[in-house]
Amino acid sequence: MRPESQATDGDIVRSVLAGDRERYAQLVERYRDRYARYAARMLGSADAAEDAVQDAFVRAYDQLSQCKDPDKFVGWFFLILRNRCFAERRRSRSEASLDAANGIASADRTDGGAETAERRRALQHALLALTPDQREVFVLKHVEGLSYGEIAERLSTSIPSLKMRMHRAYDRLREELRDHT
Amino acid sequence: MSEREFHPLVKQLLDGDITLGELPAELRAEGEEALQLLGMVDRSAVAVPAVTWRVMARLENRRRRALPWLLAPALALAAALAVWLLTAKPIASPSLVTVRFVLVAPEAHNVSLAGTFNQWDAQATPLVRSGSSGVWTATLTLPAGQHQYAFVVDGQTWVPDPGAPSVDDGFGRRNSVLTL
Repeated sequence: MRPESQATDGDIVRSVLAGDRERYAQLVERYRDRYARYAARMLGSADAAEDAVQDAFVRAYDQLSQCKDPDKFVGWFFLILRNRCFAERRRSRSEASLDAANGIASADRTDGGAETAERRRALQHALLALTPDQREVFVLKHVEGLSYGEIAERLSTSIPSLKMRMHRAYDRLREELRDHT
Repeated sequence: MSEREFHPLVKQLLDGDITLGELPAELRAEGEEALQLLGMVDRSAVAVPAVTWRVMARLENRRRRALPWLLAPALALAAALAVWLLTAKPIASPSLVTVRFVLVAPEAHNVSLAGTFNQWDAQATPLVRSGSSGVWTATLTLPAGQHQYAFVVDGQTWVPDPGAPSVDDGFGRRNSVLTL
């Protein structure tokens, strides 16, 4: 039997579905920070990201029996979180604010100084000007470090379509950042 | 192509398909500007340690709310269940609150809770390991107010709750703080 700490996602999902509910905490622990970063960059706020990740894990638990391949839990969970982030953006589009971008950058003041924080804040602010589709592909590639192939698989789309979104994003960011580069 | 749009070759540079040196000389400056944009990307981690505790607490509270309905037909148990629920729901009375403590510690052999509510006795309040998982839990009913506590792993390692705020205990350790 595998040691507890090396249990696969599939092992844990099957165990939760069999009634060991507490074990779900292991999945939350394993992925919460990784996906909080995606959510923070998508929503422009670390607080909103925390709420989104929390809601997504609760929703994933409710729908766990619908996770067709427990070994691919994290890809399935990502789509739930993604829907939550897109819904949140639709709800708060009119409230996208500099304060939100500041919320992320201010948390990083210690790791690069004021100039780095200012540049990050400028980019985060510019990211909020993109469409959610454009922002997502930029975040997945340049923040999360995924390849176009990996993003295409995760979002069930084609690489040319992703590149088109990304290239529009580059132009829009250039325009938004004219005074900062 | 608008002056505000990057040249297609510069976009390939941003995609990582070509290097700056492969750009024609007249596009180098634009390429450098583009790379500066990527240099502004914030890849720092976002830590949300409280999410584990909050998710599990939400699931547990919901489960408790559902219990009376699930067990409603069991009339013989109804009276006893009602008494149990009165003490187990999140706010049992204006001055007592039921709280669930959770720690994920797969390698631990035993975990207990020490705090102001048990005179910091590391043996008084053991947590229970749930099945074969590394999740340890204890449910306590505590008076409303502020409590300080820490988990004690294997009888010797004091660990503050990763999902709660903490304060310096004055002796070089951190105590977690719970306000009810």
